[in-house]
Amino acid sequence: MSQIMSAELTKRLEDFVIKEAKLADEGEYQAWEDLWADDGVYWVPLKEGDDPTQQVSHLYDNRTRLATRIRQLKTGYRYSQMPISGMRRVISNYEFFAEADGRYRVEANFFLPEYSIQSIHDFRLWSGRYIYTLSPRDDGFQIHIKKVLLVNGSEPIPSLAFLI
Amino acid sequence: MPAKIDYHHLIQEDKIHGSLYTDEAIYEDELEKLFYSSWVYIGHESEIKKRGDYVTRDIGRSSVIMVRNKDESVKVMVNRCQHRGNMLCNESQGNKRNFTCPYHGWVFGLNGDLLDVSYPGGFDKPLEELNLEVLVTDSYRGFVFACFKKPTISFDDYLGHGKALIDRACNMSPNGKIDLKGGWIRQHFDANWKMLPENDTDGYHVNYVHQSFVMAIDSQYGDFVGAEDSIKGVIKNWGNGHTEIDFAPGYKKMLDWLGSTPEKVKSYVDSMTKTYGKEKADQMLYDGPPHACIFPNLFLAEMNIVIFQPTGVNSAVQWSTPMFLEGAPELDFKLLRQSEGALGPAAFLLADDATIAERAQKALSAGTPWCDLSRGLNRETEDSDGVKTSHMTDETSNRGFWHHYRALMMGELS
Ligand code: FES
Ligand SMILES: [Fe+2]
Repeated sequence: MSQIMSAELTKRLEDFVIKEAKLADEGEYQAWEDLWADDGVYWVPLKEGDDPTQQVSHLYDNRTRLATRIRQLKTGYRYSQMPISGMRRVISNYEFFAEADGRYRVEANFFLPEYSIQSIHDFRLWSGRYIYTLSPRDDGFQIHIKKVLLVNGSEPIPSLAFLI
Repeated sequence: MPAKIDYHHLIQEDKIHGSLYTDEAIYEDELEKLFYSSWVYIGHESEIKKRGDYVTRDIGRSSVIMVRNKDESVKVMVNRCQHRGNMLCNESQGNKRNFTCPYHGWVFGLNGDLLDVSYPGGFDKPLEELNLEVLVTDSYRGFVFACFKKPTISFDDYLGHGKALIDRACNMSPNGKIDLKGGWIRQHFDANWKMLPENDTDGYHVNYVHQSFVMAIDSQYGDFVGAEDSIKGVIKNWGNGHTEIDFAPGYKKMLDWLGSTPEKVKSYVDSMTKTYGKEKADQMLYDGPPHACIFPNLFLAEMNIVIFQPTGVNSAVQWSTPMFLEGAPELDFKLLRQSEGALGPAAFLLADDATIAERAQKALSAGTPWCDLSRGLNRETEDSDGVKTSHMTDETSNRGFWHHYRALMMGELS
């Protein structure tokens, strides 16, 4: 069960998630990367319950690989995000949990309309659940884990080169 | 009856016509001749270890079930009830004692035999007349291939030098066995399926399509960027449409292909040495696994296995899974991460290959789109076995694919 959390705290957590989403939507790669903790793990499994030590994921980035991903996007030659897709994600149905180690878990549903303009100009809809593990840093938070459970992750999916 | 398609016109020695990727009639012709009348790759035996284990796969528009039978044999059968045609099995994998149709409850055994019909009073045909359609099946080192019709080419003749490529993949395991238990990523392409095998054995695009990756990471791929004569890898046409990029001549040290060193994966090196002896093991660990396509739909993608699935003239799905090695579970974590890095919709490489293929699909859909295929004709060599080799950036591989394709489509092989 979640411990009682103040409305002020949950508002700050929600604001952080909204900021992270906006940076991803707008391709503010460096500012987005700066939100991550040194032990950050950015993870998109194929489906709920998958074990990343046994099963392949769409991506399972430790902090080093995350930095590589951002460097690649910033080269200007990442064709699959050249130019960057039009994106405006909507996040809702928040749940907030205080974890024993002083970290917070935020879970929320997302709906992400993507206008993919790199090849066939296709309007795509992505949806699923975000599960963040956050901890306080400076006057805000940092991301330890962002797990993205797609509703269709084990089906064929098109390019996922943007930050989801 | 549409006019017969002249593949000799569309596929020449040094060029091919873009309609091969975009013409609806050609796509239908391919399904019929390549996917429903010739050998195709279905799956690997390690995916169905226990009796009753099964996976479903789509071959063209046809769903098939690959299942381990009670006598351990592997059967591949059409996933369609012989009563009123319902799909027998809607799950992509699982374990069953037999297959019961969800519509009226007919029961089929793991070998496809019709075992039971509900309310038999109104049905007096002999059950054996309505068994499932079972495909002609054969396998090599656990790789299961099948043919919907009686094949005109024997399995051995079809596989040809492909056997040696499969051997090289399996022999990366100290037990000589691979295990495909890591799950499948499926990536949707808005491009014709043939662009996948072509691109996967195209050694020419790396510096361009993957420039962003080369710039972002310090990896083996960086070694291939440079002057033309500094590229040591070679391209091969093994015959029967099987093609390869052989990176080995370009590797600088043992285990380059794994991005590792003998010290870091000592237990793996030790088990390989124990199985194959030091000299042979060292050579294998230097050369690495093959990067080769087995015509038409299997890709031995170094430490991954890939399947190409056509889903329409303008779309395809690429399946990928890490190739785990029996006897070396300590590599699993690394192989998972390597697989995700290279293959799939979020990968450093394939995401960009997909975009390029999709742009080509669009550009080739109109006008008189001839595509050049001549690169390397001036310098490829041929050995006494008919195997052609050339500079890594040459189109020797794609010519191998297309000229075999042409022969199959024209019915010139049998
Ligand atoms: S369609 Fe399968 S039992 Fe009727
Ligand atoms: Fe590529």
